Amino acid sequence: MSPVFPMLTVLTMFYYICLRRRARTATRGEMMNSHRTIESNSRTSPLHAEVVQYAKEVVDFSSHYGSENSMSYTMWNLAGVPNVFPSSGDFTQTAVFRTYGTWWDQCPSASLPFKRTPPNFQSQDYVELTFEQQVYPTAVHVLETYHPGAVIRILACSANPYSPIPPAEVRWEILWSERPTKVNASQARQFKPCIKQINFPTNLIRLEVNSSLLDYYTELDAVVLHGTKDKPVLSLKTSLIDMNDLEDDDYEEKDGCGMDSLNKKFSSTALREGPNNGYFDKLPYELIQLILNHLTLPDLCRLAQTCKLLNQHCCDPLQYIHLNLQPYWAKLNDTSLEFLQSRCTLVQWLNLSWTGNRGFISVAGFSRFLKVCGSELVRLELSCSHFLNETCLEIISEMCPNLQDLNLSSCDKLPPQAFNHIAKLCGLRRLVLYRTKIEQTALLSILNFCSELQHLSLGSCVMIEDYDVIASMIGAKCKKLRTLDLWRCKNITENGIAELASGCPLLEELDLGWCPTLQSSTGCFARLARQLPNLQKLFLTANRSVCDTDIEELACNCTRLRQLDILGKDTVYICFIFYFCFFFLRFFFFYFWESASGGGAKRGRQRIQTRFCADRLTAVSPMQGSNS
Amino acid sequence: MFSVLSYGRLVARAVLGGLSQTDPRAGGGGGGDYGLVTAGCGFGKDFRKGLLKKGACYGDDACFVARHRSADVLGVADGVGGWRDYGVDPSQFSGTLMRTCERLVKEGRFVPSNPIGILTTSYCELLQNKVPLLGSSTACIVVLDRTSHRLHTANLGDSGFLVVRGGEVVHRSDEQQHYFNTPFQLSIAPPEAEGVVLSDSPDAADSTSFDVQLGDIILTATDGLFDNMPDYMILQELKKLKNSNYESIQQTARSIAEQAHELAYDPNYMSPFAQFACDNGLNVRGGKPDDITVLLSIVAEYTD
Repeated sequence: MSPVFPMLTVLTMFYYICLRRRARTATRGEMMNSHRTIESNSRTSPLHAEVVQYAKEVVDFSSHYGSENSMSYTMWNLAGVPNVFPSSGDFTQTAVFRTYGTWWDQCPSASLPFKRTPPNFQSQDYVELTFEQQVYPTAVHVLETYHPGAVIRILACSANPYSPIPPAEVRWEILWSERPTKVNASQARQFKPCIKQINFPTNLIRLEVNSSLLDYYTELDAVVLHGTKDKPVLSLKTSLIDMNDLEDDDYEEKDGCGMDSLNKKFSSTALREGPNNGYFDKLPYELIQLILNHLTLPDLCRLAQTCKLLNQHCCDPLQYIHLNLQPYWAKLNDTSLEFLQSRCTLVQWLNLSWTGNRGFISVAGFSRFLKVCGSELVRLELSCSHFLNETCLEIISEMCPNLQDLNLSSCDKLPPQAFNHIAKLCGLRRLVLYRTKIEQTALLSILNFCSELQHLSLGSCVMIEDYDVIASMIGAKCKKLRTLDLWRCKNITENGIAELASGCPLLEELDLGWCPTLQSSTGCFARLARQLPNLQKLFLTANRSVCDTDIEELACNCTRLRQLDILGKDTVYICFIFYFCFFFLRFFFFYFWESASGGGAKRGRQRIQTRFCADRLTAVSPMQGSNS
Repeated sequence: MFSVLSYGRLVARAVLGGLSQTDPRAGGGGGGDYGLVTAGCGFGKDFRKGLLKKGACYGDDACFVARHRSADVLGVADGVGGWRDYGVDPSQFSGTLMRTCERLVKEGRFVPSNPIGILTTSYCELLQNKVPLLGSSTACIVVLDRTSHRLHTANLGDSGFLVVRGGEVVHRSDEQQHYFNTPFQLSIAPPEAEGVVLSDSPDAADSTSFDVQLGDIILTATDGLFDNMPDYMILQELKKLKNSNYESIQQTARSIAEQAHELAYDPNYMSPFAQFACDNGLNVRGGKPDDITVLLSIVAEYTD
């Protein structure tokens, strides 16, 4: 016992000493590490460390060419690393918008433009992308692989879509903007516009495009965001100035100086001649109204603040018959609507497309506005308005009894039951439901009650189970139908087409693109041609069964045909192209591929796009499409 | 007395401390996930295109290997050569099919337990091409679900896979044939030939699921291999595979493919293809010159 005790104490002391030493070295090691990191921070100066990112996700867009569940030609291809760049050509792995050129503006279903649209707002489509990290952007590169030149505006948002806390204030800044210009080459390019510096970090970028000058669909492969994690030091002053500029429209007002000097003249004469409105007092009321018709909406609102007379004129509801709020989507919110409410009691055409997203407009705000201003409403554009829900549609159906034109395209977040309310709008003449989730029962009830329908767009409505039933309902009820868009309606068959052709003889436009279940062998296209003499536009895109007889029938019966999109064999192209010389064919677009029977000598595939003007063959330009 | 207690406490603490450190993976971490280490090799029938074309095509055959968060996927496709007589390049269809499957997997648009879904979606995507893609091919897709340790397969046609464990074949795919030398195939035909050309739906594929263990060898190949090399020869080659690193798998895959390639051009060798032909009344002998694609994988611990 006695020798053990001192040994034990020695052992425990030894153990204790060892433990303490290990602990000490550990803390020393940690301390050394933290020193190291501090030192490295000061050495590498992260202010200039640039972060380069590809898009992480595509969160919103207005349209695309591909099918809703597909990877081909859909907007989701814009995320991630490029799939195709730097190759040029038509590839399925790129992002493609729905339209190009001016064709869709020249067809019977084209709708009239709104008055008072500012000339610097030319955007037709948009796509919003998120990135992993928020950075202060220094460059945004767009990798375009075919027919570049469509991007006309790039914007950045201050909100972080991945943060769990909703942001207090959401701001959009224009990084770059330009008029649509024609790019002559159709080859791939890396578009590197010079962007403005902004004073907030962003990971949400929006591209707006205008495809009207393009010869074919533009194809985008990827978007690259260059930025720094920390705020660039020198930009503070410039950004303040730029923000002030941004308050106005960024269209250089050529007449701005002229207006200013005129205003000065008027105000100086007013001072001399007494406290009245100068020359404005001599003009009749309607003439002043006519002058004010030429002002854009923000200018009209500013003018109202100048004097009582002009305030009276600018608040006159007759100035707000056409109200186009789409160009101001980035700033329009509930307060703006409330402010405009009192002036817009007689509004007939209202464009709220693209507005209200990310919490800018609430259901309550929209409902209040419609309660005051909906009674005279004839046309309502709500494309891509994701703030809409079932209540909103209910309000529309109750407050807008005179509604004739309703556009809900790409409102894909609307629940299917919301569409039931549209059936109450019995005077509807134009209904656009492109890329919505409407279901069969709701659509059937709409078709049942809205017998005045003249224009109907059901493109990419994927939730409808049986298009033949829809087509027979259309044939039975919508006798006045003039245009019908059944783009990518997957299961329509010849029975549906037969019902349509017999029921709607006034049809001028029919889009049956990418409907694979239609076979020419059933005679459905020939029947269409015979029964629809008023056809001006017929799209049979990607239907490989179209044959010579169909083209013959079209040539003989549809003398007004101006736009035709078919996919056919080379024999069709050669023999019947002259049939169309005599008619006013303006758009003739088709593919042909290597003939698989009879030893086609041609190698590769050629795409030919021809455009006819009046009755003269102007250009046949074969474009070599490169293959993946 | 007091010291005995304190000593006992120290000893107990030391022992317990030691015990708690012996468990190498205390919950969580990457332990338990399986992955496939895959290498491929092949030979095109046509010597002009014998070398790798675009990385994953051997003649009219094509293959792909892809990973996603939850699964490792690989596949082979054998383009039907008969299209060449009609002016269509058979390797386009099989190549595009495999590349589309690869893209689908990389983007996560698949369910690991449903490999037929990968084929169906990929086939639908092929139909979305504006310029129609003509041709046909067989297909075989193998998916390893990392966490559940299950292998899900889909096979349409006469390509296939073998699973070898402990030197024996424990699973194999069945050939799907309509008649002799005419396997089930996915195809896209020109419209006038639509009724005439054989076209099977992706749903007609055979699908199986089973558990795998560490060290299992999975051999996925087109019929160029199975028609020329009987099982015992393949197993012999696989015995030489000692460890699961990429180089040795690549080495073995190459040796299998080379051996099959040699046997294919041997006029006197009684290949499985010749055997099957004889059983069907056709008196043939020799190998079967064909495109050979071999993907050899081993189930191993998943490491990123």
